[in-house]
Amino acid sequence: MSDQAEIREELRAVARDLLGRAGQAGRVAAAPGGAGVDWQVLAGADWLGLEVAAGLGGADATFAEVAIVAEELGRAAVRSSYLGAVVLSVGTLNLLEPGADRDLVLSQIAAGTLVPAAVLANGDAMTEARVSAPFRIEPSPAGDRLHGQAAFVPDAASADRLLLLAADQGGSLAIVDAESRRHGLELTEQPVLDETRSLGLVTARAVEVSPEAVWRFAGDARAAVGRLLDRAAIAVACDSLGLSEAMLAATVGYARVREQFGRPIGSFQAVKHACADMLVQVRVARQLVTEAAQRLADPGSPDDAVAAAASMAKSCAGDMAVDIAGKAMQLHGGIGYTWESGIHVYLKRAALNRALFGLPGAHRRRLAARYA
Amino acid sequence: MTAAAATAGREEFRAAVREWCRTHVPSGWRQAQTGASDEEYVGFQRAWFAELRAAGFAVPHWPAAWGGGMSAAEQVVLYSELAAADAPRLILAFVSIHHAASTLLAAGTPEQCQRHLPAILDGEIWVQGFSEPEAGSDLASLRTSARREGDAYVVNGQKLWASGAQHADWCLLLARTDPAVPKRRGISYFLLDMRTPGVEVRPIRQATGESHFGEIFLTDVVIPAGQLIGPENGGWQVAQATLGAERGMTMLELAERLGQVGFRRLVEACSRPAASGGRPIDDGLVQDKLAEFETEITGLRSLCRSLIEDHEAGCSGPADASIVKLYYSELLQRLTDFGTQISGLPAHAELCKPASAGWESGAWALDFIGSWEWTIPGGTSEIQRTIIGERGLGLPREPAAG
Repeated sequence: MSDQAEIREELRAVARDLLGRAGQAGRVAAAPGGAGVDWQVLAGADWLGLEVAAGLGGADATFAEVAIVAEELGRAAVRSSYLGAVVLSVGTLNLLEPGADRDLVLSQIAAGTLVPAAVLANGDAMTEARVSAPFRIEPSPAGDRLHGQAAFVPDAASADRLLLLAADQGGSLAIVDAESRRHGLELTEQPVLDETRSLGLVTARAVEVSPEAVWRFAGDARAAVGRLLDRAAIAVACDSLGLSEAMLAATVGYARVREQFGRPIGSFQAVKHACADMLVQVRVARQLVTEAAQRLADPGSPDDAVAAAASMAKSCAGDMAVDIAGKAMQLHGGIGYTWESGIHVYLKRAALNRALFGLPGAHRRRLAARYA
Repeated sequence: MTAAAATAGREEFRAAVREWCRTHVPSGWRQAQTGASDEEYVGFQRAWFAELRAAGFAVPHWPAAWGGGMSAAEQVVLYSELAAADAPRLILAFVSIHHAASTLLAAGTPEQCQRHLPAILDGEIWVQGFSEPEAGSDLASLRTSARREGDAYVVNGQKLWASGAQHADWCLLLARTDPAVPKRRGISYFLLDMRTPGVEVRPIRQATGESHFGEIFLTDVVIPAGQLIGPENGGWQVAQATLGAERGMTMLELAERLGQVGFRRLVEACSRPAASGGRPIDDGLVQDKLAEFETEITGLRSLCRSLIEDHEAGCSGPADASIVKLYYSELLQRLTDFGTQISGLPAHAELCKPASAGWESGAWALDFIGSWEWTIPGGTSEIQRTIIGERGLGLPREPAAG
């Protein structure tokens, strides 16, 4: 095994242990999950700054490592702001032109003292041929003002700071950095069935924008935004993969011990074969998700290769997780339908994941555009 | 060697294989093999095998001492380039170079290996004599008997579904040598010369109308004791150890074919105007299905590569080969079914498909019917699911009947 592979295995083991314990709190054993995890625990494990430069207090790692944490968060169905505050915020900041303000935010994220949210699009958006920004910067006699709205934005409602994707008068894209309590900025929690995710509505009405708060992308801004939405899709695919494996493990564990008609239900072909199908699905999805994460982590990957891999991973894992969590509920029988079993937590999270950052059908449409 | 040097070496090898394919894959072989007679098919298969052998591409998976020795990474490149070039497949020699060779290498004596491995390279054809009329999924209940008489065994029984039996020189034969012990402990594994008196082959006509398989009738067939492979009554264990051994690379080859040839042909079929005028590919539902197939095939190819890597590293799981076989066979079935739907009635008017082609020849309706040749033999999909459940997930076995 290479050093890099060993480091990743170590990270996975630590994450599984740590998040597993967090997820267990207050749930029955059959299906842990749904509990929150203390932000300082994540900071202490050095997961907040995985992609932050070492000089800023980060680990100088890549998205491949972030993907492992994302998968383990899904496995434990943990409630956390990791997607919005880390995966998307750090990803966004790393694509911007370097600057002291930007670097300060990165170092604060790594330290766990700042929990921001990247507001790039509505939560169901995916990269389309035409990238558009949810906010716009408009001049006014008193200076530039920000207007716009984005819905179902992960982890926005509780964020300290917002990184808002905006278009200026000339149509070029930039990130507007804003304190979340800034006048004219409104953050509203949008409660959803999946209680492990926090989604928020972000509205900007004539928010004052100083020139120093407008941060430019280092390269082609449209390509950068495309990458960020692909990053979001892959991170959610990782989450779906992790939660699917948890549901398979819970179902197999239950089928081994639950007896009906005088024998374990796992010895019946109807149950055994359903579990076998779940394992096959998980194995295939793991290949696609790993491939996508590695492509995104490699700065040399062409945009279209990242996009295709992201769409395959997101469509496959998104569909699969709902199917597997659904089968898990079915194979657990009556107990599976109880609130206490916690399986509903996974089913709701899987269904929400499927809709976040592009439904499977939307991703397949993007794939088909390559040959249709 | 650094990773970069390995990659550079692989790319050089890829270019070499690509060039070889450009100059050696016979043009128009699909047309020539469509409706080919048995002799034309066998002659073509032998000639193509000789071509591959001359290039060092026929048995890359064998040990170097026997004429192979290609690294797994290079084999991946080789099979993916052969698929991309739409080269003919090795069908006649399939059992010889995979099952026979892996059995000889795993359990054969030096004399047995010396007798057969070079002969296989020279074109010796093998058939597998495992299934019987009363022993399909429950293979271990086979009844063909082998009775020891002096320096030989006398064999009586009937074998079924022997692929390529009518062309075979030799047979990998499982027979019962001890009827008194539990069924898996009384089976022995033999190398049977098909020219031995008492061996009779009758073709079986299969669902596609072709006759790739045969029945083998064995009446007082005498097999010298030196042609027993592995220990007497240890045949089941030899068969188990070698059955899955060749799965990885052959599955990779088939997955590459499905991706490079099958999917390409499917997109072409969807892009042709239908009788009603429009093109299927302009339909959103068709696009969705195509993208799903592309995703599934990409996952399959990746799964095959990691199966090979894990096998090399000695960390493959006990159900990994079953997972790949099950996924491939059902994906093939769904894909050929979709091709059949897309192609409409004209697909049903294609009454024969090219011999020597893969499982996705583009004669979609026949390919679809033929896809059951993957979901039934080599352990049915149901048997694979049981293996995955029990060995892969550790679920309890079904209480044994009787």
